[in-house]
Amino acid sequence: MPTAAETTFPADHSWRKLGPIALVVGAVLVGAAFGVDGSEHHGDFYFSYLVGWMYVVTLALGAMFFTLVQHAGRAGWSVVVRRTAENMMATLPVLALFFIPIFLGRHELYHHWMDAKIVASDAILQGKEAYLNEGFWTGRAVFYLVMWGFLGMYFRGRSVKQDTMTDPAAIEEFSRGTERRSFVSIAVFALTITFAGIDWIMTLDPHWYSTMWGVYLFAGAFMSALAFLGLIHILMQKAGLVGRIINDEHYHDLGKLTFAFTVFWTYIAFSQYFLIWYANIPEETSWYAHRMGNSWENVGLLLMIGHFIVPFFFLMPRTIKRIRWTLALGCAWMLVMHYVDMQYMIMPVHAHHGVHLGATDFLTWFGLFSVFFGVFILNAGRAALVPLKDPRLKESVNFVNI
Amino acid sequence: MSTKVYTETHQLSDPVAERAPLVLGGLDFHDVTEIVAKPVEDKIQPLWVLAFLGALTLLGVYGISVAWLVWEGTGIWGLNNPVDWGWAIVNFVFWVGIGHAGTLISAILFLFRQKWRTGINRAAEAMTLFAVACALSFPTIHVGRIWLLPWVFPIPNQMWVWPNFRSPLLWDVFAVSIYGTVSLLFWYTGLIPDLATMRDRAKGKIARFAYGFFALGWRGSHRHWINYESAYGILAGLSTPLVLSVHTIVSFDFAVSQIPGWHTTIFPPYFVAGAVFSGFAMVLTLMIPTRVIFGLKELITTRHIENMAKIILLTGSMVGYAYAMEFFIAWYSGNPYEQFAFINRMFGPYWWAYATMISCNVITPQFFWIKKFRTDPVIVFVLSIFVNIGMWFERFVITITLSADYLPSSWGYYTPTIWDLGCLIGSFGLFFTLFLLFVKFLPMVAIAEVKAVMPQANPHWDGYHHDDHDDEPGNDEEAA
Repeated sequence: MPTAAETTFPADHSWRKLGPIALVVGAVLVGAAFGVDGSEHHGDFYFSYLVGWMYVVTLALGAMFFTLVQHAGRAGWSVVVRRTAENMMATLPVLALFFIPIFLGRHELYHHWMDAKIVASDAILQGKEAYLNEGFWTGRAVFYLVMWGFLGMYFRGRSVKQDTMTDPAAIEEFSRGTERRSFVSIAVFALTITFAGIDWIMTLDPHWYSTMWGVYLFAGAFMSALAFLGLIHILMQKAGLVGRIINDEHYHDLGKLTFAFTVFWTYIAFSQYFLIWYANIPEETSWYAHRMGNSWENVGLLLMIGHFIVPFFFLMPRTIKRIRWTLALGCAWMLVMHYVDMQYMIMPVHAHHGVHLGATDFLTWFGLFSVFFGVFILNAGRAALVPLKDPRLKESVNFVNI
Repeated sequence: MSTKVYTETHQLSDPVAERAPLVLGGLDFHDVTEIVAKPVEDKIQPLWVLAFLGALTLLGVYGISVAWLVWEGTGIWGLNNPVDWGWAIVNFVFWVGIGHAGTLISAILFLFRQKWRTGINRAAEAMTLFAVACALSFPTIHVGRIWLLPWVFPIPNQMWVWPNFRSPLLWDVFAVSIYGTVSLLFWYTGLIPDLATMRDRAKGKIARFAYGFFALGWRGSHRHWINYESAYGILAGLSTPLVLSVHTIVSFDFAVSQIPGWHTTIFPPYFVAGAVFSGFAMVLTLMIPTRVIFGLKELITTRHIENMAKIILLTGSMVGYAYAMEFFIAWYSGNPYEQFAFINRMFGPYWWAYATMISCNVITPQFFWIKKFRTDPVIVFVLSIFVNIGMWFERFVITITLSADYLPSSWGYYTPTIWDLGCLIGSFGLFFTLFLLFVKFLPMVAIAEVKAVMPQANPHWDGYHHDDHDDEPGNDEEAA
C-alpha cells in the first residue's frame, strides 16, 4: 500500500506556489490579450478566447467523463490516477466564471444569428428562432455550466470524503453509492456536452448542421484529457510527487487509451467529413468549403497527419507507452493537436481570409490554460493525491498489464 | 483442500474490495471441464432432436423461398418503385448487427480486461459467425441473378469490367467478408486448446480424429501457450477496429445517399451502437435458455446476465440519443424534406413500425436501470426478445423511408409477400440449425479461458495449502 509520503502534497513543495501564480498570471495574460487586440469590436480577442476556453473546458469535461466511467465500470487499474482527473474536473466552477467574456462577446461571436437584422432577412434562421434566441441560449449556457460545476465538485467531493472514512463496510457501500450515481451523470454529461457543442461552436455558422457534432466534440475532449493525465503524472513524478505508486502499468494503460481515442476521434472526424463529401449537399459542404481554402486547408492536412497518422504510428508500440519521456512526448503532441482541432472548428468563421495566429491567440490560450492549471494545482493541494480509502486502491497499485 | 463456495447472493451483492467471483458453486478445474464437455459427450437428447428438426424445417422454408426466388426473380418479393430495397436489406442489416456482439465480447472486452467475458465469449462468437452467414445470404439472393454474383469481386477480365469502387455496396462485400474471416480465425484460435481437451476425452475413433485434426496437435506445452496468447492478443487488436468498421460501412449504404432520413452524419457510430445492442440481445435470448438446459448456470451466472443487461442499457441509450439527435437536427436544419421524412416516420403510414421501434429500442432497455430486472433471467429474456424485434423494425423503418420520396405522385407502400416472410423466417432456420450443431459438437464455453479466471489459477490462491507459504500475506489477492 502507498505510504503517506507518496500520497500527500508536501506543504513546502515548490509546486504549491505554482497554483496561485498560474492563476494570477493566467488572468493577467487574458487581460493582456484583450489589451493588445486592436481588431474591430475585439473580434479577434473573442474568437481566440472562445478557442482557448473551449480547449480548457473540454480538458476538464474529458476528465469528468474519465472519472464517471471509472466508477460506472468498477475499474480497478485507474484508482491511482483518478484523483488527478477529479482535480481536473473540479476546475469547472472556476472555468464557468471565465465564460463571462464569451457572454459579453456573444454579439460578436454569434452575430450571424443574434443580429435581428440578419435574422429578419433569413427565412432559415427565422425557422430556428425557437432554439436560436439570446434568452434561451443564455439559459442553456447557465444550465450546462451549473451542471458541470456541480458534477465536477460533487464527484470529487465524494471521493475526498471517502478518504476520511474508516469503517470498511461503510467504505464499500460508499463506493457502490458513487457507482450508482455515476450512471445518470454520464447521461447528463452526454446531453450537456452535445448541446453545449452545438450552442457554442456549431451555431457560429447557424445554417450548418451535423448530427455527429456532439460525438466529434466528445471524442476530442476525452482524448485530450487522457493525454493530459499521462503528461501531468509524468511531470508530477519528476517533481517528486506520488512516489512510485504510479508505474509503467498505469502509463501503459493511459497511453493505450490515448491511442484508442486518437483513433476514435479520427473515425468520427472521417465519417463526418466523408458522408458530407460523398453526398455533396451544399447546405452541409459549406462548413468544409470554408476550410478548404485560404490556407485553412493546411490546418485540415495538419490535423490529418498530426492528429492521426503521427500518433497512430508513434503511440502504437508497447515500449513507447512504457517509457516516460516518449509517452510524455506523445501526450504533449496530442495536447497541441487538440488546440489545432479547436482552432479548426472555431476560427475559420472569423478568419475567413486565412489562418492568422497572433498574439491574442497565444495569450488567450496560455492565459486560460494557466488558469486551468492554477486551479488544478490548488485542487491537488487540498486533498491526498490518490483516493486513499478506495477499496480498489490495492488492486490499482498492484495491477499488471497483460 | 478447502474451496470457498461462492453463492449467487454474494456475487450479486457487488463486493467492492474483492472482485465478485465469476464461477460459482466451488468448482475446481476438473468440474469445469466436465460441465462443459457433458452436453457434447452425452447421448443426443430428444429435446435437441426436436429443436433441430424444427430448425431444419425453417431452413427448408428458406431453401424453398430462395429456390423460387432464383427461378422467378426478385419480383416475388413486395419490391416496388420507389421501395426498391425491401426486406432483403432489412434482414441483411439485422443479421450483420447481431453478428457484432461476439467479436465485441472477444476482442474489445478482452482488451478492457473484462474477465466475465470468458463465460460467454465462445457461444457469442459462434453466434456471430452464424449471424454473419445469414447476413451474407441476403445480398447474395438480392442480386436476383445469383449466377452473376462473382461480379461483385474485382476479378480481372478481358472486358475490363469492374465493380463500382465508389459504391458502399462493394465496400460491404469486403467489410463483411473480412469481418467474417477474422471472426472465424479468432473463434478457431480460442477453440484449439478446448478441441484438444475434447480429443483427449473422446471415446470414439471418429470423434478423436475429428477433434484431433482441428486441435492442430495441441499438447498444452508452455511454448504452445505463449504462441497462443500472442496470437490471441494480435487477433483481438485486429478485430477491434473491425467491430466498428463493419457496421460503419453498412451505415454508409444508406448515409452516403442524399435521401432525407438516410443522409445523416451520425449514422456510423449510431449503427455500431445499434449493432452491439442487438447482438447482446441475441446473446441473451440464446444463452438464458441454454445455460439452464445444459446446466451451465455456474459458469454463465446471473452476474453475467446482469452485465450484458447493462451493456444493453448503455447501447440502447446511445441508440435513443441518435434517434433524438436525428430528430433535433432535422428540425434545426430548416430543411423541409428532412423534416418531412422524420414527421412521416412518426405519423405517416408506417407509424406502427416507428412506434414499435421506439418502444422496443428506447423504452425497453430503460427497465434495466433497476437491478431487480437486470438480475432476473426471465425478465431479461423477455426484454431481450423485445430488443430483437425492435432492431429489426429499426432497419425496416430506415429502409421504407424510400416509400415517400421527393415526388409525391410516385409514393408507394411496401406490402411484404409470403416470400418475404419465408426468407426472414427461413434465415432463422439457418441460424438455429448452425447454432444447434454448435452446441452439440463443440464446447460452448471456453474451458481454458474460464479456468484462467478462477481463483485456483492464482499461484497464491489460499486453497493450495503449501506448508510454508500458507501464511504469506496477500495470498488471497487476485492476480491483477
